Amino acid sequence: MGGIMQVVFDALSLGSLYALGALGIALIFGVMRLVNFAHGDVIAFSVFALLWPSVDAVAIIFAGNLPWFLLIPFTLAVGAGLSVLSEVVVFRRFRRANPATMMIASFALGFVIRYFLLMLFSSRPKSISLLPGLSQPVEILGARIPLLQLITILVTIGVLIGLTAFLRRTRFGLEMRAAAENFTMARMLGVRANRVIMGAFALSGALAAAIALILGSQTGTANIMMGASVMLMAFIATVIGGMGSLAGAVIAGFALGAIATVMQVILPPDARAFRDAFVYGAVILVLIFRPQGLLAARGTKERV
Amino acid sequence: MARPSILRRTIATPLILSALLVAFALAAWFAGSRPFNQTVIDIFLQVVFVVGLYTFVGNSGVISFGHIAFACLGGYVAAWTTIKPMMKGSAMPGLPDWLMQMEIPYWAAALAGGGFAAFWALVFGAVLMRLSGIAASIATFAMLAMVNAIYSNWSSVTAATSSVVGIPILRSIWPYMIAAILAVFIAWAFSISRYGLALRAARDEPTAAAASGVNIARVRLIAFVISGAIMGAGGALYAHSIGIVTPDTFYLGLTFTTLSMLVVGGMGSLSGAVLGVLILSSLIQGLRWLEAGVQIGTSTIALPGGVQEIALGAVMILILMFRPTGIMGNSELTGRRARTEKPGEPGTT
Amino acid sequence: MNRLTAILAATTCLSGAAFADDERIIVGFATAETGFMQAYDKPAQDAAMIRIAEINDAGGLLGKQIEVVNADTKTDRAEGAKAGLSVIDQGADLVVVSCDYDFGAPAALAAESNGLISFFLCAESIKAGIQGVGPNSFSASVLGAVQGATMAEWAYNKKEARTFYRLLDTWTEYNKSICDGFDWMMPQLADAELVGQDTFLNEDASIAAQITRIKSLPEEPDAIMLCTMMPGAVSAIKQLRAAGINSMILNGSGVDGSYWLSAVPDLSNFFVPVQGSIYGDDPNPAVNEFNAKYTEVTGGAPATQYTYPGYVMIDVWAKAVERAGTTETSAVVAELEKMKGEPTLFGPRTFTSELHHQNQARYLIVETNNGTPGVVDEWTISSPIPVADLMK
Repeated sequence: MGGIMQVVFDALSLGSLYALGALGIALIFGVMRLVNFAHGDVIAFSVFALLWPSVDAVAIIFAGNLPWFLLIPFTLAVGAGLSVLSEVVVFRRFRRANPATMMIASFALGFVIRYFLLMLFSSRPKSISLLPGLSQPVEILGARIPLLQLITILVTIGVLIGLTAFLRRTRFGLEMRAAAENFTMARMLGVRANRVIMGAFALSGALAAAIALILGSQTGTANIMMGASVMLMAFIATVIGGMGSLAGAVIAGFALGAIATVMQVILPPDARAFRDAFVYGAVILVLIFRPQGLLAARGTKERV
Repeated sequence: MARPSILRRTIATPLILSALLVAFALAAWFAGSRPFNQTVIDIFLQVVFVVGLYTFVGNSGVISFGHIAFACLGGYVAAWTTIKPMMKGSAMPGLPDWLMQMEIPYWAAALAGGGFAAFWALVFGAVLMRLSGIAASIATFAMLAMVNAIYSNWSSVTAATSSVVGIPILRSIWPYMIAAILAVFIAWAFSISRYGLALRAARDEPTAAAASGVNIARVRLIAFVISGAIMGAGGALYAHSIGIVTPDTFYLGLTFTTLSMLVVGGMGSLSGAVLGVLILSSLIQGLRWLEAGVQIGTSTIALPGGVQEIALGAVMILILMFRPTGIMGNSELTGRRARTEKPGEPGTT
Repeated sequence: MNRLTAILAATTCLSGAAFADDERIIVGFATAETGFMQAYDKPAQDAAMIRIAEINDAGGLLGKQIEVVNADTKTDRAEGAKAGLSVIDQGADLVVVSCDYDFGAPAALAAESNGLISFFLCAESIKAGIQGVGPNSFSASVLGAVQGATMAEWAYNKKEARTFYRLLDTWTEYNKSICDGFDWMMPQLADAELVGQDTFLNEDASIAAQITRIKSLPEEPDAIMLCTMMPGAVSAIKQLRAAGINSMILNGSGVDGSYWLSAVPDLSNFFVPVQGSIYGDDPNPAVNEFNAKYTEVTGGAPATQYTYPGYVMIDVWAKAVERAGTTETSAVVAELEKMKGEPTLFGPRTFTSELHHQNQARYLIVETNNGTPGVVDEWTISSPIPVADLMK
C-alpha cells in the first residue's frame, strides 16, 4: 500500500508541475494562438529575480531572504510583470502574424531573456535556499514524502479550483473564455481584446513564477536552463490535451507526469535510460489516434 | 515532369542563389584565413540544413521541429562509415562486422547518410504525415526527442553521449559549397515538380486541392523524404567539418537556429531560406567581431561578452515585426523586377 | 586580474618586436569566454595564467617570455574548431582547449592535425588524449573513473561501508565515467554488495520515483554512489535528504565547492574527492598560498577544485619544454611521457605512451558536516585502473 501510494504521490507531484506549465501555455494560446516558447525563460527569470546580479559562484541573495508571505507575491508579480511586458513590447505587434512567425518571435524573445540572465549571472548554477521549511519529510497514507511534494499537489489543485472559479464566475473570466473560443466573434461582441490578452499573459506569467518557486525550492538551484525541460513537457501536454483547451492541458500534464513516473518504476534498469524515448513514443501514439488532442477545444479544428 | 516554361521561368532563382554561394566561397578563398574559411564552411552547412528544412516546411506549410533528427542520423552514418576500423572497435563495439570494416570517402558517406535519413523519413513520415498543423509539429518534435534519447543512450552503437572522434576532417571549402548548391537545385527541382506544385496547392487551399485529387498525405511524405535526405547528407558533412559527432549537437539548439533562419528569411521561399542563412550568419559574425574588439584609432572598442546573442534575438524580433512573413515573404529572387507571388497561385502555374 | 593582463600585455609588446616568429613561445587558449562553459574554463585559465606569469617573472621559458593568444569558442563545437584554427594561425606552440571533452575536442583535433600539442584544461574522459584526439593530446586533470574508484575503496576501508547503491545521471560521459570507476572497484572489495541501482537525467524536475526505489529497500544502504554533476547534483542531493535518506553520499569532484551548500542546509555525511582544497585547510601549505595568490589576482577565491588543473597543465608542459630544450611537438611529448610521479602542487602526475591522463592519483577526501566542508583524509587507489577497463 505504502509503495503504491508513494508512486501515486510521485506521479501527482511531477504531473502538477507539467499541468501548471501546460496551463500557462494554453492560456496564451487560447487568446492569441501563440505558442509561447519564452515561457521557460520566464520561469528561470522569476527565480533569478530573487538574486542580486553577480558572476561569482556564490549567489548573493536579494529578495530571496524575504519572509514567505512577501516572497511568494513578489515572485508571482515578477513573473506576471515580465510576461505582460513581453506582450506589450513584443507580442502586441504580432497579433496578425501567422503562428510560425509568432512562435519564432517568442523563441527569439526567450533567447534574449536567457542570454541576458547569462550575462548578469554567468552560466554557473546558483544555489538558493527557498522556503527551506518545505524540505521536511511527512508521513501520509503509509508513504513518506517531502512536505514540498504534498504542497505542490495541493497548490496545483488550489490553482485549478481558483482558476476555474475565476473563469466561470467573473466577467473577466467569461471574456477570456469567449476570446479563447472565438476571438474575432468575442471582439465584435464587445470583449476588450487588449485587456483580455494582457490578463492572460499576467496569469500565465504568475503560473510560470509558481513553477519557479516549486522548482527552486525542490532543487535549491537557480539555473538558466531550469525552465526548459518543464516547458517542453508542458508544451507537449498542451497539444495532446487539445490546443486551447485548459482542462485538456491539465489532464494531459498529469498524464505525462504519470507516464514518466510509471516508466521509471516498471522499466528494467537497462531500459530506464531510454525512458524519454518511450514517453515520446506514447506522445506520437496519442497524436495519431487523437490528432485534435484529448479534449479538442471548439473553434480550433483545422479545416479538412 | 515540369513543363519547360516553368523551368525557364524559375531557373533564374537557383542560379542567382548559387552565384551568391560561389561569391561567399571566393571571399573565403581570397581571405586565406583558416578561421574565416571554417566560418564559411559553417554557413554552407547551415544553407544545406535550412534548404532541407524548406523543402518540407516551405512547401507543406507544416512546421517541423524534427528535421535535425535526420541530420543526427546522417552524422552518425558518417561516423560509422569513415572512422578507421581500429578506432571504431573501441568506441562503438556493437557495430555489425561489415560496418566495422567499412571505410569510405566523405562524399560516399554523405550519400549514405542521406539515404539512411531518407529511409527513416519514409518510416516516420508514413505515420506522421497523416497529421496536420500543430499536432504534426509536436509529433515531429517527439520524433526528434526519441531519436535523441536513443542515440544518447545506445552506447555500443553510438557511443551514447560521448563525442565520437576520428571522423576525417575536411577543411576544404569546395565540397561544402557544392553540397549547398546541390541542395538548392534539388529543392528548386522539387518545388517546380508535379508533387511540389500539388503540395503547395494543398498548403494554400487544402479543400480545393483535395477535391482536385491531390493525395495530401502522399505528397507530404514525398517532400518529407526528400528533405530528410538533404538533412542527412548535411549531417554527414557537418560531422566531417569538425571531426566529431554527439547527439547533443543535433538537438534543440540547431533545431531552433535553422528554423529561425528559415522563418526570418521567409518560410515559403527558397531564396528566403538561403538569404536567411546568409543574413543571420553575417550578422552573427559581425557581432562577434565587435565582441572581440574593433581597433578605432588608438583605442579598442569591444561589446561586452554575451551581447552578440542578445542583439541577434532583438534583431530577429525586429525583422519579424516589420516583415511578418520574413525577408522574402513568398517571393523568389528571379533577376527580374520583384513580383510578389500571391499565396493563392503557388508556383505560378 | 587587471594586473595580470597588464603584465602579459607588456610582455607581448616587448617580445613581439624583439623576436622572429619561430623564436617566440606562444600559448594559445581556445576556450570559452562566453556561454555555458565560461564558468568552468575561466578559473582554470586564470590559474594557468598565474603559472605563466610566475614563469615569466622567473626569466621565462628557454630564456624567452611566454606569450598568450586567445580565441573564444562561445561554448559551441563548430566555433571551437574555428577558435582552435585561430590560435594555431597566430602561432601557438601549445593549444589549450576547453575544460570539457565534448567542447574541447574540435579545437584539440585542429591542433592534432597541425601537429601541435593540445591540453584539455580539466577534461576527465580518457578520450581527452591518445584514445580520442590523438597522440599529441593531454589532459591536466584526473580520469573521472579514478574518482568513483577512490570513493568506493575509501568508504569501504575507512567507513566500513558494505552495502552500496549506485545512482547514475546519464546526462554526460563524465557522470558515467565516475560510475564506471565505481563498478571497476566494487568486485575487488570483499563482501561489498551492490544492493541496487537506478538512473536519472540531470534536467529531471523531480527524482521522486528513483528515491522511492531506494526507500523500498529492506535496509537503507551504507553508501550511495551518486554519479552526477551540476546543476542536477544539488537537486538530487536535496531531494535525497528531503526524503529522509541519511546514507553517506559519495560523489565525483564535480560537486566540489561550498557555493551551493546553502541549498541543502546542514548537509552531513557527504564526501567529495578533490585534487586540492579550496577551503584553506590543504595539508600542503603551498596550495593555501596559491589560493591566496589566486584571490589577489582574480579578486575572488577559487570556487572549486577545477581551478587547479590549469596550473598543473602549464607547470608540466613548461618542465617538459625546459627538458627538451625546444617547443617542438615530438620532443616535448617525449619528455612529458617520461614523467613518472612528477611532483606538482596538486599531487604527482604520470604520463606514458599509452595514457596521457591519470589513472591513479592522490585525492584529498572532503567531508561536509553540518554544512561545513573540510579535508578529513587522503586516499590513493591501491592499483591504477587498467587502460583496457577504461576503454570499455
